[in-house]
Amino acid sequence: MNITIDSLTKKYNDKSVLDIPEMEFQEGCLWGILGPNGSGKTTLVRIVAGILDSCSGNVLYQGDKYSDSIKKAMTLVFQRPYLIRSTVYENIAYPLRIRDINEQEVSSRVNELIESFRIQSIRDQKAWTLSGGEAQKVALARALVFKPRILILDEPTSNIDPESIMLLEERILDYYRKEKPTILMVTHNIQQAKRLCNRIAFMNEGKIIDSGSPSEIFGPGAIPKIKEFIKKGLI
Amino acid sequence: MDNFVSGFKDAFQLIITLDPEFFEIVRLSMVVSLTATLLAAIFAIPFGTWLGIKEFPGKRILVRIIYTLMSMPPVVIGLVLFLLFLRNGPLGEFRLNFTATAMIIAQFVLVTPIITGVVFNGTKERGPDIQALARTMGASPIQTVWLLIREMRINILSAVVTGYGRAMSEVGAVMVVGGNIKGHTRIMTTTIAMLRNMGEYSLAIATGIVLLLISFLINSLLYHWQQER
Repeated sequence: MNITIDSLTKKYNDKSVLDIPEMEFQEGCLWGILGPNGSGKTTLVRIVAGILDSCSGNVLYQGDKYSDSIKKAMTLVFQRPYLIRSTVYENIAYPLRIRDINEQEVSSRVNELIESFRIQSIRDQKAWTLSGGEAQKVALARALVFKPRILILDEPTSNIDPESIMLLEERILDYYRKEKPTILMVTHNIQQAKRLCNRIAFMNEGKIIDSGSPSEIFGPGAIPKIKEFIKKGLI
Repeated sequence: MDNFVSGFKDAFQLIITLDPEFFEIVRLSMVVSLTATLLAAIFAIPFGTWLGIKEFPGKRILVRIIYTLMSMPPVVIGLVLFLLFLRNGPLGEFRLNFTATAMIIAQFVLVTPIITGVVFNGTKERGPDIQALARTMGASPIQTVWLLIREMRINILSAVVTGYGRAMSEVGAVMVVGGNIKGHTRIMTTTIAMLRNMGEYSLAIATGIVLLLISFLINSLLYHWQQER
């Protein structure tokens, strides 16, 4: 699903935090949204995900405005995911239950994900007893279980252990290769963006200052501002 | 000290002899407080939840008013209602003074801000996260409300039990509008106040002990519920 942004702005107390005249996230691409702290990455993906209102402008999904059918085809995995007060299994099953999927199908899909995320041992554990890495695995499994056409990830691997990061990256790539959704992934990590993403949008002060393939954005032809950020270690 | 010892003995005796007059007082206390709490919960849970997740002009003032009402002296509530229910008052035609209905209304007015305030505080903390989750999972508005209620159930239960405890232990408002009429509007707290005036201290203590036992039972149920989850 194509995501088109037109004249999108967001202000907090008259301070502009987002100002994107136009941008297109093409269907079937795995986008990395990069930029220093406070550059508007999270604000952008929250508006795209429909959980934050913009001050002006539009986001169109395959040419259409946000609607119930778009909402059902899209999801966002938060940096600190909220897990419902139930077991790991029930958390992953939740999106299927609200879509009235039959119990056999629920069981099959949830168990398949539990196995692929290697979380069998915590299947019946209550969500509030999980570590950060386990919680993030459950959140990603829950996002993938209903096969969204747009998957938005807001720093899904920050503050978790390297082994969990590797597993989450593998699962994201597996899903991408299999289903070819549009993925927007906010990350601070250039190496991670290079490993996973085939398109990059680089943000600074609420604007997308450059977009293209990772080699274009980070290669020898990178724009001076991005070179400066990299050199100073700001991302 | 003798009053306490004989109070315990009397409490024990009141329970095992199933004294009909005493049990009528307990029954009416529970009916009045349960009805008031239930009605307050029906109104205050959705209202507190809505207040916790919605932003609108004047919200801060509304919240301050609710907090103020949470600590409103019950006797003032009783007095205001009493004046409203007087024969020549605006609601005089309903003849509510000195009825159990008036006591239920008084407790409803007392308990509603308490349940609203507790639910509001819980929802304000976690409501936006739950709402965001529901939306990103593709939930409909009804499914979102249901998820909110499910996730906030411990907080909601605590609010209701706090409200019920307040209603059960209240004396000022029900005394003013109910009048403590034997077999009609006499409840446990008004009985204790009356027995104290009569100098029947051990019986007053006994009634107090039964009141405490009921409170303990309710709190035990809540604790059990919280531990389970």
